[in-house]
Amino acid sequence: MYPQLHIPDGFLSPQVSLVLWIATAVLIGIAVRKTSRTDIRLIASQPILMGVLGAFIFAAQMFNFPVATGTSGHLLGGVLAGYLLGPWAGTIVMATVIGIQALLFQDGGLLVLGANIFNMGVIGTLGGSFVARGIGTTLGGSRPATILGAGIAAWLAVVAAAGFTTLQLGLSGTTNIAVGLPAMLGVHALIGIGEALVTVAALTFIAQTAPDILAGVSAPRKASPVRRLATGVVIAGGVATLASFFASADPDGLEAVAEELGFLDAGLSAPFELFPDYTIPGLDGTVSTVVAGLLGMIVVIGVLIALGRLARSRTKS
Amino acid sequence: MEPRSVGRDARAAVITTLAFVTAVALLPPGSYLALLLAWLLLAFAGALLGISPGHLARRGLIALPFVVAAVPIVFLRSDELLWAGTIGPLSLQVSGAGLRIALTALLKAWISVQASVLLLALASPPSIVTALRRMLLPEVIATSAGLTIRYLELLRDEARRMLRARTARSASPVGVGRERIGGTIAWRARTTGSLVGSLFLRAYSRAQRIEEAAASRGATGSLSIGTLPVADPRLTLKIAGVLALVLALTLAGALLPRL
Repeated sequence: MYPQLHIPDGFLSPQVSLVLWIATAVLIGIAVRKTSRTDIRLIASQPILMGVLGAFIFAAQMFNFPVATGTSGHLLGGVLAGYLLGPWAGTIVMATVIGIQALLFQDGGLLVLGANIFNMGVIGTLGGSFVARGIGTTLGGSRPATILGAGIAAWLAVVAAAGFTTLQLGLSGTTNIAVGLPAMLGVHALIGIGEALVTVAALTFIAQTAPDILAGVSAPRKASPVRRLATGVVIAGGVATLASFFASADPDGLEAVAEELGFLDAGLSAPFELFPDYTIPGLDGTVSTVVAGLLGMIVVIGVLIALGRLARSRTKS
Repeated sequence: MEPRSVGRDARAAVITTLAFVTAVALLPPGSYLALLLAWLLLAFAGALLGISPGHLARRGLIALPFVVAAVPIVFLRSDELLWAGTIGPLSLQVSGAGLRIALTALLKAWISVQASVLLLALASPPSIVTALRRMLLPEVIATSAGLTIRYLELLRDEARRMLRARTARSASPVGVGRERIGGTIAWRARTTGSLVGSLFLRAYSRAQRIEEAAASRGATGSLSIGTLPVADPRLTLKIAGVLALVLALTLAGALLPRL
């Protein structure tokens, strides 16, 4: 079982894709402004660190490990990136990684790139990192506490990203939310355990081997008991809201909205048609359909053979 | 197939790909003929670039597993029932409308992947980043993306070597040849986490070295990857062509018969 979070083109309606592109663009814009103001002490030029760590996240996603038979733990790395670079810079790095995966590896589509960045970058990384910080603060703000917070947030981030992915597919009419949501949340609750364990193990390793580097990129923060309590309440409230949102995402309601907004059968009725129902005028129904189909197939096969020849001659020259 | 020179203005190629993918996404469910037309256009462009339609079609298969997400609607929509019956304890129904939506999504994904394969044949990754930088992509992201692409293979190689070493030490994934699996889940996670952690430290020290090298050569923070290539003089013309193509595809979607 692998995470199913990189949506390909064609599975989201253009309307849903566009709305998520706008949301993503706004949030990434804020992230760009935030990162230009902060700086990481040990490395003066943050773009260099961000770029190389982007390649690191890419490579880290190759690491998998057995959780149970047929299921391997697999790293997405959003919360890890957020912990190592700060929520905003981490989000930019994840957005870059997701963009490069779509452009260079066809992992996830281009029109739906906004949605993919929203789910894994904005929800999974930005949201996840703030939750991690909040849990860490609530638990006292020591290094082990923040790492534990990152682990819990890593699990939540994967599950939440899966939930949002399913909701978007449902709004686009390509899945049934009532069945798809529990299935996706269930699978990713399991995958999320792998994410959480690897995130905790990686951060523990870095904290033990190179505490100075970790202190440079993310200093432990102490907080007053009142603040700790307040953060805890906010996090718990947020998680509860999200959970109830998924639990009560009334599938019929959502699908009704989708239908009303015309997502489901966008533009299904055309003003007129050239060959209504694959028939050629003047010929009898069934015969006409068969003839039209055969003609079409012959044309397509001819074109393909010609294209293959053209490609070969182009490669040779 | 060799990437073209980095110095080319790839904006037209990027815009064409995005517009084409958008036009395909806009086609209504069941417009198989319009999708066929879109694919033939792609195959023609691919052939001009020296890529055979078969190769292109195979590359498109990468998006197929995602169709799992669309399976529920085939069985759960209750319109245009093609078949209804019981298999053992399950009572099942197959909806024609659901099947149409799933199949259309699948074909769109398959075609769109091939469009981005063609983009890569037309323009090198750095020139794509440069083109995006010219088109509103913030400087920080462009620089970071350029560096990510440059160091991608290097770090992936390092990760591969670490994974091979781990396999040799028996903490390999389940199912791969049924090798021995060592320890508990927590132990396996710790092994993997340590690999990720040490990969981070290697990446970090590499970033430091890059920065020192850049600083010693007089870099001052903003690190733009290469200079901007000469603007494509025929950009406006090409974009007009792209718009015509998108319009034609959309029209084809509206006019050609749907199933």
